Amino acid sequence: MKKRLLSTIAALAFAAAPAFAAEYPSKDIQGIIQWGAGGSTDAVMRAVSPHAEKVLGTDIVLTNKTGGVGAIAMKYVNAKKGDGYTLLMGAENPQMYKVLDLANIDYNDMIPVSILARGTPIFVARNDAPYNNMQEMIDYAKANPGKVKVGSTGPGGLTSIVMAMVDSQVKLDVTSIPYDGDGPALTALQGGAIDVMPSVLGASIEHVKAGRMKVIGLMDETPHPLLPGIDPITKTLPGLEKLLPWGPFFGVFVKADTPADVVTKLSTAFNESAQQPDFKALMDSRGFTLMGISGKEAQDFLTAYRSVSSWIVYDAGFAKKSPEEFGIKRPE
Amino acid sequence: MDALSYFAMSWLDPSLLILTALGTFLGIYVGAIPGLSVTMAVSILISFTFSWDVNDALCLMVGIYMGGVYGGSRTAILLNIPGAPSAIATALDGYPLAQRGEAGEAIGLSTIMSVIGGFIGIIVLAVAAPNVSEFALSFQPRDYMMLAVLGIMLVGSLAGDSLAKGIFAGAMGMLIGTVGLDPLTAEERFTFGVTELWNGINPVAVMIGMFGISEALNQLHHLDKMAVKQKIDRIIPHWSNIKKYFGLSVQSSTLGVVIGALPGTGGDIAALMAYDHAKRITKNPEVPFGKGAKEGLVAPESANNAAVGGAYIPMLTLGIPGDAVTAVFIGALFIHGLNPGPLLLTEKPEMFWFTVGNLTLANIFVLIFGLTGIRLFAKIVECPKGILIPLIFLLSIVGAYSINNSVADIWWMLGFGVLGYFMKMYGYQLGPVILGVILSRLMDENWRRAIISEREDLGSFFLNLASSPLSAFLLTSIVLIFLSQTPVWARWIRPLWAGKEDKAQA
Repeated sequence: MKKRLLSTIAALAFAAAPAFAAEYPSKDIQGIIQWGAGGSTDAVMRAVSPHAEKVLGTDIVLTNKTGGVGAIAMKYVNAKKGDGYTLLMGAENPQMYKVLDLANIDYNDMIPVSILARGTPIFVARNDAPYNNMQEMIDYAKANPGKVKVGSTGPGGLTSIVMAMVDSQVKLDVTSIPYDGDGPALTALQGGAIDVMPSVLGASIEHVKAGRMKVIGLMDETPHPLLPGIDPITKTLPGLEKLLPWGPFFGVFVKADTPADVVTKLSTAFNESAQQPDFKALMDSRGFTLMGISGKEAQDFLTAYRSVSSWIVYDAGFAKKSPEEFGIKRPE
Repeated sequence: MDALSYFAMSWLDPSLLILTALGTFLGIYVGAIPGLSVTMAVSILISFTFSWDVNDALCLMVGIYMGGVYGGSRTAILLNIPGAPSAIATALDGYPLAQRGEAGEAIGLSTIMSVIGGFIGIIVLAVAAPNVSEFALSFQPRDYMMLAVLGIMLVGSLAGDSLAKGIFAGAMGMLIGTVGLDPLTAEERFTFGVTELWNGINPVAVMIGMFGISEALNQLHHLDKMAVKQKIDRIIPHWSNIKKYFGLSVQSSTLGVVIGALPGTGGDIAALMAYDHAKRITKNPEVPFGKGAKEGLVAPESANNAAVGGAYIPMLTLGIPGDAVTAVFIGALFIHGLNPGPLLLTEKPEMFWFTVGNLTLANIFVLIFGLTGIRLFAKIVECPKGILIPLIFLLSIVGAYSINNSVADIWWMLGFGVLGYFMKMYGYQLGPVILGVILSRLMDENWRRAIISEREDLGSFFLNLASSPLSAFLLTSIVLIFLSQTPVWARWIRPLWAGKEDKAQA
């Protein structure tokens, strides 16, 4: 009896060992999500993955590996084999790692499988704030130095870059209060702990619709269909034209030495999944612009994003290293 | 009338009923295994239930949540390994009860109290959700900081014989909690350049090591001692017992709902604060706290289950998660095409009553599944040490690994286990260490946020402490609780009060 049990266990162990030299994918794929459960990156990735699973014909096991502004997940994926079985599912943050000295790698050192969608940054303010648009906010901040409390998500986060962009045009003395993410900061805004918060449209749109906060600015060159009557910021600060459009994005990445045919398979799967009606509907309702791009197009997008963001934080004075050190060109 | 039909939806539909039951059953075991967290289970279920109908998916997840929060008490009572941080306070008196041969009754009592707590949470959710969520939002960083200070004062309750050793242990916990990237500036703290330390030391790994492993090591001293015979004739607690603790349970549950509804705190802090509250208001416990006081079991178990209803309050009314699990629920609703936010209740009013009904149902299943199989579980404690100790090690290692699928956490867990063993040997209590780890982040972040908002001006910081009624109330509580523990209180203030009472009587 004991013998039979042992041999069964041994057989099971062999069956569980990965099959060698089979066609990709021959086993489960690990998807490492850079941000925590319940965040927007998490929601996007969990919505797109089931479609990709169908196309690829295998399971994608999603794990949240948070911390270090996403650098921990990135380093983790790059420490694994470049065989396409470990995917990095992340947001825009790594494009700032080099100048902020958080890590010596960014997305330009990996292969983009698919850039799924991009968001539009807006400025929201608590309802009883004494300003209703960017010009009024700027005037108020100038008249009351240090009075305006702006929520922030730490150096290199969306808020810091948006604020640095504004700062490049007009110097404002505001108090910046860091939070763990845009969720907690938007909560604090409703409680009156902060006055203004640059946030991605999708994160705040439901609160705006319900009248719990107001939109005072749109970080774009053109008006947005979800925000009628809100002028693009370039009307107030025309100097920003050369930096916009700019916005956070969600993408799936693999290690640089992943074989080309594996990347192609993954790209097809994720780009197809991004076009599914329910994913499209999710992105629309959250105010994200669907992209679903890969290859050269994706690389160009990443390079442009990195160039704008790196230089803007460098000029604002909170970069630890010059973008020049890494050969990052200044945006023209 | 509509509300009632939505409420009863999951009760009447057989498939929803079965899914809720299944979820609750699974939840109890997910909750009982340390390291397997409800958050993780629910996240996995999001992908798993992607193609399901949204109601089916929600039933399963709500069941897991309700069952999971309760399940944490099982291993806390039986093996001294809390299944989740919200069961830490349960272990403090639950495990000593099991050691005295009353594991069965302890589990029975904790089940009843969890269910009572659960119901109170649900009732508050059903009748006062909008008011509570507005109240929860009004907490400013300085208020969160004061909550953390209130929590830290628990060191006094947990310190055991020597307050100095308790403070030392608490400070050590705080230090452990600060390892990693600074949450506000992303600067490295105590990481020595090691990327693996960026995320800090996982509190669950510290918890499993300090409670589970150190206890197992401690048991090695008593290998020759026979295991305590468990009394299993009485599982469902006496009616008189339930009546006796009902008041405490209601108070703890109220505390649990509020702490649960706050977006920055959850069941773990609620349970610990309820334990402290119980210790403070219980004048003459039958058994001293820490040695198996039933009050010390009733309070945290009511509070952590009440926190479930609490966490749903901001989530359903405003789309703001009350804890990590409801954050995942929000993600799930998005994926199922709903827009969880402040408009959810206007756009989908059925969601609210459906959830309330479903939580109620899950809570009833907790009662049913909780009270069955206790005899079997209680036997675990009677296991010979030769089986029990390896079992604790196995469970601890699996638990530590499954937090983050990382081997590093196993080493941390074992390291803290050995450290905890020596600390216990030299009379240091381990409760304050865990307390420090849990509270350090809350305190650290919010103190700094508060002082940054005042532009680092201490004067206006203290002025604001007194300006808002909530802050003033919290500050007064801190001062009073602190004073009541000092000789000043006993010598001058108490006689003053006593004097007044005398006069009133005369």
